[in-house]
Amino acid sequence: MTALAAGGSPADRIAARLRAPTGWLLALLAAAWLASVARAPEDSLQGVVQKILYVHPPLAFAAYLGFVLTAVGGALFLWRRDEGWDRLARSAAEVGVLFCTLMIVTGPIWARGTWGRWWSWDARLTVTLLLWFLYLAYLLLRGFTEGSERGARFAAVYGLVGVPVIVLNYFAIDLSGGRAIHPENLQRGSLGAGMGLPFLLGVLSTLAAFFHLLARRIEVEGMRARLAERTQGMRGEEGRWAT
Amino acid sequence: MSVVLAILWKDLVTEWRSRDRVVAMAVFSFLVVLVLHFALPARDAAEARRLAPGLLWVAYVFAALLGLNRAFALELENEALSGLALAPADRGWVFLGKAAANFVILGAVQAATAVVFALFFAVDLWAVAAPLAGVVALGSLGVCAVGTLFGAVAVRTRYREVMLPLLLLPLLVPVLLPAVDATAGLLETGTLRWPPVQLLLVIDAVFGIVSFVSFEYVLDE
Repeated sequence: MTALAAGGSPADRIAARLRAPTGWLLALLAAAWLASVARAPEDSLQGVVQKILYVHPPLAFAAYLGFVLTAVGGALFLWRRDEGWDRLARSAAEVGVLFCTLMIVTGPIWARGTWGRWWSWDARLTVTLLLWFLYLAYLLLRGFTEGSERGARFAAVYGLVGVPVIVLNYFAIDLSGGRAIHPENLQRGSLGAGMGLPFLLGVLSTLAAFFHLLARRIEVEGMRARLAERTQGMRGEEGRWAT
Repeated sequence: MSVVLAILWKDLVTEWRSRDRVVAMAVFSFLVVLVLHFALPARDAAEARRLAPGLLWVAYVFAALLGLNRAFALELENEALSGLALAPADRGWVFLGKAAANFVILGAVQAATAVVFALFFAVDLWAVAAPLAGVVALGSLGVCAVGTLFGAVAVRTRYREVMLPLLLLPLLVPVLLPAVDATAGLLETGTLRWPPVQLLLVIDAVFGIVSFVSFEYVLDE
């Protein structure tokens, strides 16, 4: 098992080192986070639905981090041709899509309570929705491509082309008059008393969850690659016996 | 440069001899216009003008998806794709040749579709024909750039006909928004709005450069 889990590339080594500490950190932080969210004061205007603030932006940070790592992993794979970087890209895309989905689910719940409707074609919402579709297509592309090396190459190109598209989408939606209704980014002092700590804990525990899932996902991919190598090796042996 | 021209010439001659792709694309895009006419009937001229830009671009994008799917399917026969990969030049030039051929073929279909569209929706496109052709050309440049790149990707995946739209549509949103915006401006006022045209130019440059560079990694056998 340990032999299968060990991967040779830097990405695998980092993942193996991150798994246990992020797991412990997640367990500790999540407990503190839940307690602080429960104790946090209720917003005087929005009521209890405001507490989604402690979940939704942290999920967004983790999702964006996942997509950045997908592009970085893809670029490193194309440059170094080391499959470990491809494992990073693939795992980051999957975990990123997971967090992005949760973000897209939690956002409308808050919006229904505060704006009175589930969705608005605001620039930030639209770009995020497109981003979600982009990385769903990325995962589908990986699923539909035969041959791991080719699949990795195709996906890396798609992940890299996706980056300028995110920026261009902002300009395009701004041009077509997408109304800005989404709250602005948080600034120092914009949170009410007693809201800073649960928000900070939310960000930290979501990031711990992100890195823990990412490390585990990379390890599983590494095991899969090892297993494929072994079965291929065994098939080769059989072939030799047959002739 | 001669590689670009050779591939462009080869694709156009093959297309001219069979005319399969252009006919299929044109018929499909006429059908899209027909379906859209029934799905979104315009009650008066003002409503037709309001709906026209979006509907026209929907027809164009669908036609492009159909054509781009075929662009590399042809190269799979007799391992022609390996031949292209072995061409004694930078693969970016191979990309430019294929993209240019797609652009020419798509342009022909778009011109024919515009005529049918103007008839069905009773919109006077003739009065703004020259600037409209410019906007459509700018939009199509972006579509053909990423379309050619991911056409080469999709053709070597399972369910390739399904894969290309899934890959391409999220990438085409930044092209479509300014293209529809510029077309709407033309149909409403008869004059060209500059901001969407500028954005289209930027998008074409970005997509062109990115696709030119990444084609190296897509055509690799």
